[in-house]
This record gives sequence, C-alpha cells and structure tokens, in this order.
Amino acid sequence: MNGQGIAVRWYVPAEIQVLRVWLPVAALINAFIVGAEVLRAREHGMLLSVAGLAALLLLRALLPDGRLPWKRTAALALAAAGVLAGLWSLFAIELSFFNFWSNTWLVFPAGIALYWLSVGPAASWASGASDSAAAESGLARNKQVLPRLESFGLHTLLLHAIAVVIVPVIWIIDISFSPGNVLGGAIGDAFTLEHYESMLGGSQFWLWTRNSVIVAIGTTIVGLLLAIPAGYAFSRYDFAGRKGSMFVFMLVQMFPGAIILVPYFMVMKTLGLLNTSIGLIIAYSVTALPLCVWMLKGFFDSVPRALEEAALLDGCTQVEVFYRIVLPLSLPAVAMTALFSFLAAWNEFVLALVFNTSNESYTLPVGLASLIPTVGQQWGDFAAASVVVSIPVVIMFIAFQRALIQGLSAGAVKG
Amino acid sequence: MKRLLAALLAMATVVTAVTAAEVPGVSLHSGEPEYRRIRIDVAVNPDSDVEAYEVWFAGQAFQARSEATLHSILRVGSTAGLEQPRPGESFDDCWSDGEPAHRDERGMVVIAPETRRWSCSLTGMAPGVDQWIAVVPVDGDGSALSAVAPIVARTDASDERTPPPDTRPVLYALGSIVLSAIVLLSYLRWSDARRGRHKSKLAHIYVAPALVALAALTFYPILYGIWLAFTNADQSRLGDEVFIGLANFTGVFTSPGLLRVTLFTFIWAFGNTAAHVVFGVVLALLLNRAGLTGKTAYRTILLLPWAIPAYISVLTWNGMLQPDGFVNAMLGTSIDFIANAGSARVVVILVNIWLGISFMMMMTSGALQALSKDMFEAAEIDGVSRWDQLRYLTLPNLKSTLVPVSLLGFIWSFNMFNTIYLMTRGGPYVGFGEPGATDILVTYVYSVAFESGHYGIAAAWSVLIFLMLIGFSAVYVKKTRATEATA
Repeated sequence: MNGQGIAVRWYVPAEIQVLRVWLPVAALINAFIVGAEVLRAREHGMLLSVAGLAALLLLRALLPDGRLPWKRTAALALAAAGVLAGLWSLFAIELSFFNFWSNTWLVFPAGIALYWLSVGPAASWASGASDSAAAESGLARNKQVLPRLESFGLHTLLLHAIAVVIVPVIWIIDISFSPGNVLGGAIGDAFTLEHYESMLGGSQFWLWTRNSVIVAIGTTIVGLLLAIPAGYAFSRYDFAGRKGSMFVFMLVQMFPGAIILVPYFMVMKTLGLLNTSIGLIIAYSVTALPLCVWMLKGFFDSVPRALEEAALLDGCTQVEVFYRIVLPLSLPAVAMTALFSFLAAWNEFVLALVFNTSNESYTLPVGLASLIPTVGQQWGDFAAASVVVSIPVVIMFIAFQRALIQGLSAGAVKG
Repeated sequence: MKRLLAALLAMATVVTAVTAAEVPGVSLHSGEPEYRRIRIDVAVNPDSDVEAYEVWFAGQAFQARSEATLHSILRVGSTAGLEQPRPGESFDDCWSDGEPAHRDERGMVVIAPETRRWSCSLTGMAPGVDQWIAVVPVDGDGSALSAVAPIVARTDASDERTPPPDTRPVLYALGSIVLSAIVLLSYLRWSDARRGRHKSKLAHIYVAPALVALAALTFYPILYGIWLAFTNADQSRLGDEVFIGLANFTGVFTSPGLLRVTLFTFIWAFGNTAAHVVFGVVLALLLNRAGLTGKTAYRTILLLPWAIPAYISVLTWNGMLQPDGFVNAMLGTSIDFIANAGSARVVVILVNIWLGISFMMMMTSGALQALSKDMFEAAEIDGVSRWDQLRYLTLPNLKSTLVPVSLLGFIWSFNMFNTIYLMTRGGPYVGFGEPGATDILVTYVYSVAFESGHYGIAAAWSVLIFLMLIGFSAVYVKKTRATEATA
C-alpha cells in the first residue's frame, strides 16, 4: 500500500472526530436532563428529553464512516429532527434558565452536526467522495482545526464545572442580601443589609468569633510548641525508638475521630473542661499534631545540614543551632504549619458541637449551625454570617493553596 | 427501682401538672422535669378507633405536624406475648396504666386498646428551654384524628444532674500514662547512650512533649473508649459505670438497623471516594492542558469547595435543596429532597461529592506538575496517542499519589460527620431505636451517645467502626502492595 492509500484510510475530518467524542457527552447530559424532567413530572418535557437522548445516541451510532453515503443522509435527517424538536420546545414552553440550558444541549450538538455534515470538508468526506489528495490536505487541516475545537470543548466542560461550584456561592450571597428568611426569589431581586446589621450589630456573633479566635490561636501555639521539636528530632537525629514513634504518628493520623468522640467527651466532662476553650484547644492541638509533625519534618529535611555542622564547629550548642539557624531558615514552613492548624481549628465542627452545650461557649461553626435548627431557620442571618466568616478563610486558602497542598500531601503521601 | 418509684410518684402529680391541653380523645400533661427529658402523661379515650399515637415536638409553638419533629410513635394493638422492658432498658421509658409499656421486636411501644392512661419520658430534649409537645392520635392511614394542640414544658433547668464526678480515676490514669511514656523515653535514651550514639542525646527530649501528649490524649481516650464499650455508662451514670461484659456488643449485633447502616456507610464511603478521585483527576487533567487560557481563574474558582468552610457549604446546600430553595426554583418544582429516604440518600452523597472534588483535584494537579515533561515529549514523537499517553504514562505515574490519598479519602468519607448531620441529622426517621435513613455509622454513634445518652452502647459501636476501618485498611494496603509488586 502506498503512502497516499494510508492517508485515505487514516483521514477522519476533525469535525467527525469531535462529534464522536462529544455526542456521547451530550447524550449523557441529556440523560441527566431526563432525570430532572422525571423529577418535574412534566410529560411533554420527559417525552422531549427522551426523544433528544435517543436522537443523539442514534446520531452517534450513524455517524458517517467515509464509505457509506447513506449514513450521511440518515445522520442529517436525525440531526435536523433534533434541532427541530429542540427549537419547537424552546418556543413552546416558558423560558426558564433550566429549560434554556437543557434545550441548548439538544439544539447545539444536533445543529453543529447538521452544519458540519451539510457543508465543508466533513460533508464531502462523509458522502464518500474523498480521494488521496483531499485526505492529505484534510490531515494538514485537522492539525489546525482540532486544537481550536478541543479548546472550545475544554472551556465548555470547565464552565460547567465552574457553574456547579459557583452557584451555591452566588446563592448564599444573594440570600444574605434578601429581606426576611425567604429562600426563593430570583437572584438579585431585592437588596437589604438587615441581616448583616442584625448579625454584626448583635453580641452573639462576636461572642462566637471571640471563642473561635481564642481556640484557633491557642491550638496553633500549643500545636507548634509540641510539633516543632518533634519534627526537628525526626528530621535530624537517628535515635532509638525513632521508627517506632514515627509509626505511632502515622497510625494516629489514620484513626477515625469517631472512636475518640465518646471517651473524649467523658474525659473532658470528668475534668470539667466542657464549655471551655481549654478543652477544645487540648483536643484540637493533639488531633492536628501528627500531620503538623509530618509537615514540619518534611520542611526541616529540606534545610541543608552543612550549615548546622558548620555552626557546631564554630562552637554553637545544639539548642543554639536550632534557634539561630534552623528555625529562622524554616520560618516560612513554620508559618504554613501554623496557618494549617489555625484553619483546622477554625473550621472544626464535631468536637465543638459535642464539647459545647451553651450558646456562650459556641465556636463559629456550632454557632452558625445553631441558626439552622430543624424548625424556625434563620437563613438570612446565617447567610450574612457565612459570607463574613468565609471571606477571610477563602482568601487565605487561595493565597496559600500551593503550600497547604504541599504540606498535606507530605503528610498524606509519605505517611 | 428508684426510677420506677419516681415515675409512679410523677404519675401521682398529674393533678399539679404545669400545663395541660384538651383535645377530643386525648388529654396531655407534662410531668416533673427530668434531666434532658420531658415526661408526658396522657389520658386517652379507649373507645376511639386510634391506630397509633404520634408524639411531636418543636422548639416553638406549632399548629401542624409539618412544623414539628416526630419524636416517637406508640402503636395501639394487642400486647400478647410482647416484652415489657424495665425502665432504663430502652431509649424512652414508657408506661401504660402505671406498668412498664410493652414493646414489639423492633422496640416500638405497643399499647393495649383498653389502656386509659400512658406516659413517656421523652429523651433528647434541649435542656432548660421551652419545648412544645403534642400527642396526635392517628388512624391507619396516618391522618390525624384530632387537632394538634401542643403543651409547653421544660427539662430540668440544670444541665448537670449528677454531682461533679470523681476526677481521681481519670487523673490517675493520665498520670500513669504520662509517667510510663517518660520512663519509656528515658529507657530509649539510656540505651542510645550505652550504644554510644551521643549525637542524638537531645532527640528524646525534643520528641517527649509530642509523644506524651499523644499518649495521654489519644491513646488513653481510645483505651478508655474500649473499656466504656464493656460498661453500662450513660448520661445518668457518669463516673460510676459498671462492667457488664459483652451486653453492649450483643445489643449492637442484634440491633435492627446494623446491616442497613453499615451497608449505607460503605456505599457512602466508596461512592464518595470513587467520585472524588474520578472527577478530581479529570478536572486536574483538563486544567493541566498546555495553553489553556484563564487557567488561574478556573483553578481558583474550582478551589472554592475546598476553601469555604465545609459546614457553611453543607448548610448552604441544605438551603438550596429546601422545597422553596434554589434547586426547586430552577426546576420549577417543590420537592422536599430531604424528607424522602431515597432522595435524601442521593442528595447527601451528591453534596459530599461536591465538597471533596477540589481537594482531590489539587492533589492530582500537584502530582501532574511533578511528572517529567520529557517523557511526554518522547511519547509524542513516537506517535503515541493522547489516550494511550494517559493510560500508560500519566495514570501509572499518578498511582503513587492516588493510592494513599484515596485510602485517606475513604477514611475521611467514612468519618464525614458534618455533611450528614447538617443536611439531614441522619433522618428521615425509620423506626424507634434504629438509625435513620441517611445515618452512617459515625452519625449514628453521635445520636446514640449524645441524643439518647447511651455512652456504653455508643462506645461499642465505635469499637466496631474501628475494627472495620482497620480491616479495610489492611486489605487495601495488601491489595495495592500486591499490584505494585506485579507492576
């Protein structure tokens, strides 16, 4: 077989390649839409979405292969039927955002298939009219067209992912500015600051914040005081029991928090530490300890030993070496670990729920959750408080994402 | 016996009840306040064709059952052959005509049709605040036979019923654990010195605080928890619990919801971990495409579920899924996703998937960036297709990250209390003394311990969870080791 024959055999227009991948994706989304229509129990919606799903699947099955021209005709007919059904439904029913979106996922794939199969290189290939020259030029053209189509698809997928992520965020912000405790209503239909005023103007929110700040700072300090020396020792010294104690730290990280919940509560209750910050500080700094030790060990490992050895030769004691050389060099890492334990304590919910039974000792998580009891939920106040609490945390997470992930994966992967 | 006497005494004080409401067929009084419990005494008309009595409660006045929470159901029917557990043996103590009430094999209270008076001590009431309680007689279809007329009652205002417990046992135990940790470390230091490793003489002092804290505050509670599992500890017996052998464990293994809650826990943990890994890897691969415009913006937004405090996200989803929330507004429906067992299960899993993808994406992204570019360039030159590059180069190289992270993710999901507690509190209600429809083991332990107050039973459940997780991790590690050895 000569090279040109291979080109003919290999050549599939970029458009057809894209349809092969994306029609199943569109079908999947239409299957999801069928599910939603079943939930809505609207008969014509169900019918239409099932028809759309079937049309897309059939279209995928009947995609031209470059040899059988009748497949092109069949595919064209199916695509046209899909477009017509989608358009009819667009005009026949009320145009909510969901309807618009779901119809787009029928009309657009079918429409683009219709267009590509009726004009352009894909159309002539599909009707079986391509010779080796057309295949050669088509392969060259694919190289240019494919990346553009791919990046369009990539952005479509990412935009969908982003929508799923961002909708709750926008919604809660909208609720925080909506009057009363209504959950419905269009986004941005009303504006009031009453919830912010009632939360930030009242004493309750600031009480919870104060408790959270005390607990989080206390946890950070106690946790670091325990973790820094241990991490340093694990990184630098080879001592009897090193392996054993490192194993112990790894094991504890695997322990389910649930099994300590009850005994922790009993111990704290017996010692009279329920409803106090000290109880939570002790519990948090110990539960975060293994991960902090692992993170710090990883960071200390990256500080070169030569510096310390030089300092020791110059007459520093080991303690001085640690405080004068190692600690300043790994200060950013220590700050990261501090941030990590601060955030862990700031966001913790279960232990705070179990340890604190009175409103005065609630931390922010338990306090905010207490605004949403089984009945009589104060959504507006909750939303306003959530926005206020989340903003600094989110900024910190985004600013320090790389370092946090690095530390966490050091703990998770190596441990 | 003492409690029974107190109960009878309380029945005698019906005349002096705090409040009373009269509805046809039922008259309801609140009895003496108790610790985290409210006692109700109910006089009923035995002639009516009532099939069951529902006890509803709420933290505020209510006129309809939809505004309140169902506390328990008492069935009316034949009590022949049913057990009469003594007070204190079941979650709520109930009496009919002054005798301990009968219970069927599922633990539900059954009242004989001729009963004129019954009473219950309702557990799990918020201490020291007003609670509205209504008893609603219902027929076979569950429709109310009388108006809902709640009464107001309070628990014993003080949160501490028992005198301050004896702290000595705990302090002795903590002290001895700290001492033995110090002794162990000193021994290790001495053995180092004997072997002539003088360089490391400070190491043991550096490690000591962390190890001692770990021993005292992690190992001791775990051992204490294991001990509790063999005792009759509960909220009214703090500090003087007694060893009762394997009774808690037999209770756990014969409890009606054990299989269901275990199965759902595993579905929950597997489903979540699988979805986290799949979506996380897919998103990381998409974001890793060379020349993607707006990469930073996408990445920052996709990070949000990880960055926003989890309890806030979960409560937000809870609001979005309310009948008047965003999801229903979008669909043009008013479905109560959380009220139905099936949809509640699906919804809690979806919300937890939403929460966890970002983290997995970030982990995978980090690992992807660490892969060598040369490898892919070489593959490109050799004409390896994109798909084969992914299958034979990217995924095998990600394995060393994904295997431990997914094990950790499984354990995290297994223990993910927040999502379920804040979405459904384990509900919808399934049966008395049973885990709710969306309860996983962890949330059920919480409700046994802190809503019903049975610390011993909860500790037995915890031990069971612990054994399950150890077993799972061992199998997982073995399996992955085996595949790594053959790879």
